[in-house]
Amino acid sequence: APAVLAQSPIVVKMQTSWPASDIWMDFAREYTTRVEEMSAGRLKIDLLPAGAVVGAFQVMDACNDGVLDAAHTVPVYWYGKHKAASFFGTGPVWGGSATTMLGWFYQGGGADLYRELTQDILGLNVYGFMGFPMYAQPFGWFKKEVSTVEDLQGFKYRTVGLAADLLQAMGMSVAQLPGGEIVPAMERGVIDAFEFNNPSSDSRFGAQDVAKNYYLSSYHQASESFEFLFNKDFFDDLDPDLQAILKYGVEAASTSNTASAMDNYSADLEKLQTEHGVTVHRTSKEILDAQLKAWDQLIADLEQDEFMKRIMDSQRAWVERVTYYELMNAPDYALAYEHYFPGKLKL
Amino acid sequence: MTDPQVALMMLGLFIFMVFLGFPIAFTLMAMGIGFGYYAYFDGARMWRAYNRLDETASWWDSTSLWIDGFFNNRIFDLFINQTYTVMSNEVLTAVPLFLFMGYIVERANIVDRLFTTLNIASRNVPGSMGVAALITCALFATATGIVGAVVTLMGLLALPAMLKARYDKSFASGIICAGGTLGILIPPSIMLIVYAAASGVSIVRLYAGALLPGFTLVGLYLAYVVGRSILQPKAAPRPTADEVPEVPFLRLAGMILTSFFPLAFLILAVLGSILFGLATPTEAASIGALGGILLAFAYRAMTFQRMRESVYLTVRTTAMVCWLFVGSYTFSSVFSYLGGEQVITEFVSGLDLTPLQFLLLAQLIIFLLGWPLEWSEIIIIFVPIFLPLLEIFGIDPLFFGILVALNLQTSFLTPPMAMSAYYLKGIAPPEIRLTQIFAGVMPFLFMVFVSMAIVYNFPQIVFYLPEQIYGR
Amino acid sequence: MTGFIRFADSLSAWFGKAFAWLIVLMAFGTGYEVFVRYALNSPTPWALDVSFIMYGTLFMMGGAYTLSRGGHVRGDFLYRLWQPKTQAKVDLVLYLLFFFPGVTALILSGWKYASRSWGYAEVSINSPAGIPIYQFKTVMVAAGILLFIQGIAQVMRCILCIRTNQWLEPEEDIRETEDILLARATEAEKDAHP
Ligand code: NA
Ligand code: NA
Repeated sequence: APAVLAQSPIVVKMQTSWPASDIWMDFAREYTTRVEEMSAGRLKIDLLPAGAVVGAFQVMDACNDGVLDAAHTVPVYWYGKHKAASFFGTGPVWGGSATTMLGWFYQGGGADLYRELTQDILGLNVYGFMGFPMYAQPFGWFKKEVSTVEDLQGFKYRTVGLAADLLQAMGMSVAQLPGGEIVPAMERGVIDAFEFNNPSSDSRFGAQDVAKNYYLSSYHQASESFEFLFNKDFFDDLDPDLQAILKYGVEAASTSNTASAMDNYSADLEKLQTEHGVTVHRTSKEILDAQLKAWDQLIADLEQDEFMKRIMDSQRAWVERVTYYELMNAPDYALAYEHYFPGKLKL
Repeated sequence: MTDPQVALMMLGLFIFMVFLGFPIAFTLMAMGIGFGYYAYFDGARMWRAYNRLDETASWWDSTSLWIDGFFNNRIFDLFINQTYTVMSNEVLTAVPLFLFMGYIVERANIVDRLFTTLNIASRNVPGSMGVAALITCALFATATGIVGAVVTLMGLLALPAMLKARYDKSFASGIICAGGTLGILIPPSIMLIVYAAASGVSIVRLYAGALLPGFTLVGLYLAYVVGRSILQPKAAPRPTADEVPEVPFLRLAGMILTSFFPLAFLILAVLGSILFGLATPTEAASIGALGGILLAFAYRAMTFQRMRESVYLTVRTTAMVCWLFVGSYTFSSVFSYLGGEQVITEFVSGLDLTPLQFLLLAQLIIFLLGWPLEWSEIIIIFVPIFLPLLEIFGIDPLFFGILVALNLQTSFLTPPMAMSAYYLKGIAPPEIRLTQIFAGVMPFLFMVFVSMAIVYNFPQIVFYLPEQIYGR
Repeated sequence: MTGFIRFADSLSAWFGKAFAWLIVLMAFGTGYEVFVRYALNSPTPWALDVSFIMYGTLFMMGGAYTLSRGGHVRGDFLYRLWQPKTQAKVDLVLYLLFFFPGVTALILSGWKYASRSWGYAEVSINSPAGIPIYQFKTVMVAAGILLFIQGIAQVMRCILCIRTNQWLEPEEDIRETEDILLARATEAEKDAHP
């Protein structure tokens, strides 16, 4: 509204793609408090949950139009505009983790390709930054046990982005829904199995009330990060120091989000098992193999597109070098864990 | 003036505009955009390009950029975004299908068969014709989910029969008015879908929750009809064999099998597949519509003309409901952007009400709104104002929704806009006066309040089925 | 004026009725999804998208038709007590003040939104089936244009009514069961008391 006082802080209207109760609202708040403190109150972020202004999947349109100044989301939520969006988080798993791929974004050429996609190809009026390399996402929640590819046939399953293409290729019928709509959709019979992201988010929206088998370890979304979107005009109009605070605040929140995720995800996984009678499984090798084969097929299809091929070439070059180092260098953590906490791990 | 004050003015102006009788969907749309233009007004941002022009720019450039700036208000994007949200609302997709099912069933010559059969089957019960009429209404209303047709069809069929059997005029018309409105409560009701879309409560939990309260209300209605017939036999004399023939058991069974069961089966199939998660409400509605078409064929009532009628009426009623959403999404988004929701929340929490007092106040307001307005306006526009308050008072929005659904039964029965009574008056024999109809409706209004009191005191009536089926 | 009103009425009715048939497609399409899911254990990836596209198109394209038949809900408990002339005066002002700005915004901003979507051949995010939605976003523009034309006809109706104190009714059309029965009852009554 009009009549803004000269001294008052610049209010940033930021909406997330998460329901108000999701732990990711807390993660987003870790970002906004950092920004507000660093700017000494010159910036104030009005943080809103999904649906407050627009739906979870519409934040990109809203940022582009300036209906929102900023958004806290993931790129797969706008992959209806271009499938390449999914490569910035939910793409083929070459062997690297989300940390590896966040490294690719900042040091391996990802950010340039992202800018080319959003600004040149789609003509979107936004800037985007990536932060918080997420833990690999569980294969998700099923009413009955699933151990073979045959068991998956005919399921109506919720996931997003290229993961949806992937599981469709494996014989599932896939619906993409925002997190807040998963349990209602399950009750309505729109879907009969789903994944969202992690033990904390999943349990906060009540996954354990509608399914009891939780499958960890999967290649469908093993390297995602948050996307922080800003309307370009809004961002350009800020003083350079405030721009820097918004930009580097993403890096700061990335570390604090990682610590919070460690603490909460692990505690909530324990709670799901002990308090809610959820059975935690590891996804079978047969299904994981089938996932990689399905990725192969998908990669071949997507490489038909020149731009998407360029992204994948860039990612492969990065992972081939970086992950070789990561894996060759990494000690066997499971061995040490087994040594100090014998008999717990069931890999 | 502060933004929240502007928001209150917006609401006040809207209510005034409603009194002027302009189509509400467009009133909401225009007011949403108008107040939104103010809310999202940001000169620096809107005329950014214009302000960056240097002095050498041509007159044409500067004028056109100034005009661009004028329309560069974010409200227009918000409006389109909200419109698209209504267009892609997955819960509302069930609305046209259930309407279509209703229009088909309405035209399937089903109501006379049903009433005749039930009349014979219940002939030994006190107030038998009233009971038969009420059950016919309930069943039929359930399948169609809309009100007008049930009241008029029954008014032409059951009312003359009851009058001929020397039923009290008021009593008979009350039964038909009240019975005819049950369809908006008992699933698969359109009203509950609309409440689900407005409140975000899961539609299937609403359906499960409405089932027992719906039966409670039907039970109260029946108890009243039977009770009064026992206490005051003159109001509902036993029909003579001439009026309702005695029919051998086997033939009666045959009649029930061909009239009662097909419709009951269709309703059960639709509801069952929704409640047990076998099909989404949208899918179940499509099965209901296809089943209705089959039924109409079976009763030799399906003609191309009737199909066309059903199709065209479906588009009109759907457009009526959904354009209201288009208007109200933009309106309420701007209203809360200006802080209107906040003000109301603060005001109500400042009143220091107990949850019961709040609930009574809210239901009283909804009841009073039901006098001049219809359910669609109340649910889409006014109920959302109460929804954010529920959390403060610890009231489950599912529970609240069921109370509202019960409450809004009355909106068809209270003047000045008592649609049920008007429809009945329109087709009833001229000797039946509107005041007689209203007098007959009174006891049923009272039963609605009794049912609300019962549901309030025994909330398990609402929660039992959703908890059994969905485990929470 | 009467000519234009008749033209607009039939234009709106033609589009509204043509798109109304989507309900039959929707019933069969969704029914097909249920069948293949249970009988063949292979749900379609497109049912969800197709059903909301049909629903949205149906009600948007029916907006002008509904307006021409006076089908949009009004709080008319006072309005209906007024003389037609008074109704028309109030309506005329409100059409100019409330109706055209909103509908114009729908057309212009809808155009911006839809053309952007055409620009990147946008597909639905709900499923990997890749169902296009740019045409669906264009429905907003089409619905807005129909409403705009119908709105002009409604304004003309108001002007005529202010002159004659009588509303120009739309031509005979499909009616609700209760309206047909009510009309029949009124006829019968008229016959009974000539
Ligand atoms: Na996921
Ligand atoms: Na009323």
